[in-house]
Amino acid sequence: MKKKSGAKLFSANIINKFMHRQESSIILALAVYIIFVSSVNSTFISSGNIFNIFRSSGFALISITGMTLVLITAGLDLSVGSVLALGGVVSGMVAQAGLPIPLALLSGVAVGSAIGCINGLIIVGLRIPPLIVTLGMQYAARGLVSVITKGVPVYPLPKSFTAMEQVKLFGIIPTVVVVALSIAVIFHIILGHTPFGRSVYALGGNEEAALISGINTRKTKFNVYVITSSLAGLAGVFMAARLGSGEAAAGTGYELTVICGSIIGGTSVLGGTGTILGAVLGGLFMEILTNSLTLMHISVYWQQLVVGTILILAVMLDQYKRDLMLKHSIRGNTQTEKAQKKLTYES
Amino acid sequence: MRAENSVLTVKKMTKRFQGTTALKEVSMELFNQEILAIMGENGAGKSTLMKILSGLYPGSETEGSIFLHGEEVLFESPIDSENMGIAMIYQELNLELDLSVTENICLGRLPLNKVGLIDWQKAEVIAVEALERLNLTLDMAATVRNLSPSMQQLICIARALVRNPSILILDEPTSVLTSSETDMLMEIINHLKEQGMACIYISHKLDEVYKLCDRIVILRDGYYISQYLKQEGYDSERIIEDMIGRKLNVMYPSIEKTIGEEVLRIEELKVPHTSAYGKDIIEDVSFNLHRGEILGLCGLVGSGRSETINAIFGSIPRTNGKIIIEGKEVNINSTRDAMRNGVGLLTEDRKKNGFIGTMSISHNMTLTILEKIKKLFLIDRKKESEKARYFFEKLSIKAPGLETLISSLSGGNQQKVILSKWLLTDLKILMLDEPTRGIDVGSKSEIYKIINNLAKEGVSIIVISSEISELLAICDRFVVLGHGVVQTELSKEDASEMAILRASSNT
Repeated sequence: MKKKSGAKLFSANIINKFMHRQESSIILALAVYIIFVSSVNSTFISSGNIFNIFRSSGFALISITGMTLVLITAGLDLSVGSVLALGGVVSGMVAQAGLPIPLALLSGVAVGSAIGCINGLIIVGLRIPPLIVTLGMQYAARGLVSVITKGVPVYPLPKSFTAMEQVKLFGIIPTVVVVALSIAVIFHIILGHTPFGRSVYALGGNEEAALISGINTRKTKFNVYVITSSLAGLAGVFMAARLGSGEAAAGTGYELTVICGSIIGGTSVLGGTGTILGAVLGGLFMEILTNSLTLMHISVYWQQLVVGTILILAVMLDQYKRDLMLKHSIRGNTQTEKAQKKLTYES
Repeated sequence: MRAENSVLTVKKMTKRFQGTTALKEVSMELFNQEILAIMGENGAGKSTLMKILSGLYPGSETEGSIFLHGEEVLFESPIDSENMGIAMIYQELNLELDLSVTENICLGRLPLNKVGLIDWQKAEVIAVEALERLNLTLDMAATVRNLSPSMQQLICIARALVRNPSILILDEPTSVLTSSETDMLMEIINHLKEQGMACIYISHKLDEVYKLCDRIVILRDGYYISQYLKQEGYDSERIIEDMIGRKLNVMYPSIEKTIGEEVLRIEELKVPHTSAYGKDIIEDVSFNLHRGEILGLCGLVGSGRSETINAIFGSIPRTNGKIIIEGKEVNINSTRDAMRNGVGLLTEDRKKNGFIGTMSISHNMTLTILEKIKKLFLIDRKKESEKARYFFEKLSIKAPGLETLISSLSGGNQQKVILSKWLLTDLKILMLDEPTRGIDVGSKSEIYKIINNLAKEGVSIIVISSEISELLAICDRFVVLGHGVVQTELSKEDASEMAILRASSNT
């Protein structure tokens, strides 16, 4: 008897702990959806399709880590799509010029960093809202790409350049996924275990309090925009390698995919909360969604409607969770007050 | 005697909040063409009473009755009270800063033309008329943000006048005004009185009240205490005694300590006003602080107490002034500079900039020492929780654990977490802005104990508090601010509630 109830308690405890994790909603949603789709369409869980999902989600996943940092600081970066195109075009041109591949890769990242620096400097230095700055940069960077390419794709690219994307780890894992996941792991550690990561959370939770506590809020803010843009540049390099050409129109709408993925993964739009694991799962969910809807022969138009609805639902869930937490905290509050009163009466 | 002249009568008004009674059977009357002052310490029940009169606290949740011109009324919302002719001017200016003068005065009552669009000409006429009653001419199209605080204050009054009230309630209207602006406002109030208005005037400033008000009603701890008439002459001593009333209880622990050499010296500090452009809230302030000393920084609301310590901490800019710590002039231009020099600040508004609500207790505590608990690149979790646990236990914070979200704690425990954040640093000087605001009595006493122990350990402390009795009990010396300068400095022996109140209201 006793043992049984103990086991029950133990499992209840695990469930409780799981539900309190920030990623619980996205993990549940992902699991339910995968089970549903695979029961409807068996091709979905074929190894070929899984490979496809990973391969195409890799591009979004590279930027999603950076975007999550930005969102946690209660910021926003709308320029990542244009930066992706710029990174791809610049690295493609460097490769075309016959320079070594690592240098081409680096140049794509560097041009992203440069854009991030500009974003960061304007946001921090001139105190202009990130929404405006990065929206402007979305146009400006896209324009810059057109000016550089004059509308002509950077094509053909050297074989050695495109090979970068075609290497497979253990024969099945595409390079871009390896890169994306390594970045995710690195930033998971940075966000959770370094003073910088802590500052990111503090900044989004309460900027004024963070400043009063001696946190360098300006530097932190600047850094997250540089990181995001650099990663977008890197994604651009891989995109160019994948397409075999540096396209001026690459990455249109990319910023929305990345932001959606992060938010669906539990990053709060109000700042202060979010995890890399959640965001990566959110990004995967986005890709699984489009992939599965295509498999089920649902038209592209409907797909957008579904993605939009899910985004709103995700934010609603986030809101609901916050309210619940607040209610909980108010209840907790009165309880501690009661306990204190008791104490003061007793003493 | 003048019952027929009574405009407003409050009978046996009681207001209970969960567990506490803020107002207990208070009765009062307001007569026609009278300016009545309501005075009392913080928590005396003044603002509760005003919130009942303005309908902010629904009448159905109070006990007692209100009569307007002899008829009983029930205010369920501020709209009810407004419609019955009561206009309330709050202490905080609630203007739409980016709208024009006309728009602000007519806000909520913009006249419409036949088509249903705003009739701007008519609106301007209404606004100009309202300003004329205040003997004021302004550029009607000007954006309110660009006007001085006193002008903004007057626009609030003009807005109230548009509704043609018979009773005007002003809650500390002069806290942001200079003395000449205050004189002008008082003239205007007298002018309105002649036009037939009755006024309730809430202020801590004795000199103003003496000059302006026909009668003073004093509240204390939710009770009606006494009233004084102008024609009988006001007696400061009796009025202040009535306001203070209660004896200091034993909640202030005393401790033996030695006060050492000078640690901090402030010279010629000048701080610009944070909301009014081109004005200085602190004009020329100098004082010093010794090791282990607790210094009370006194003054009325708006006297620049918070601005002074925020400028020392580098969280707001100063335009002049030297900060000398342990004999060396230091350069403090940011909060980080202050921390490097061993200065800490507990801010006035915990929720606004004291803690980070999305973070746990331990994460809030270690915000100030992130770089010090770093091992290579990573935060040493073990060291972090050790450091946090030490103060969690030492200050006996009541919470399930270190991982509990700070927003779920009670005010007193939140304050202890914020204190720990500073205790973890190499602290020389700790500045506390209203450390016991919104905290229950038990936790208050604990916080005093913490402050005293810190002083004993050699930390120098500056405390700001609106509760003078609290300051008197814990401080070794007092600096009273007013009108942008130091009004007076008092030793523990010379200080009394009366002396401090006198100095801060400059009578």
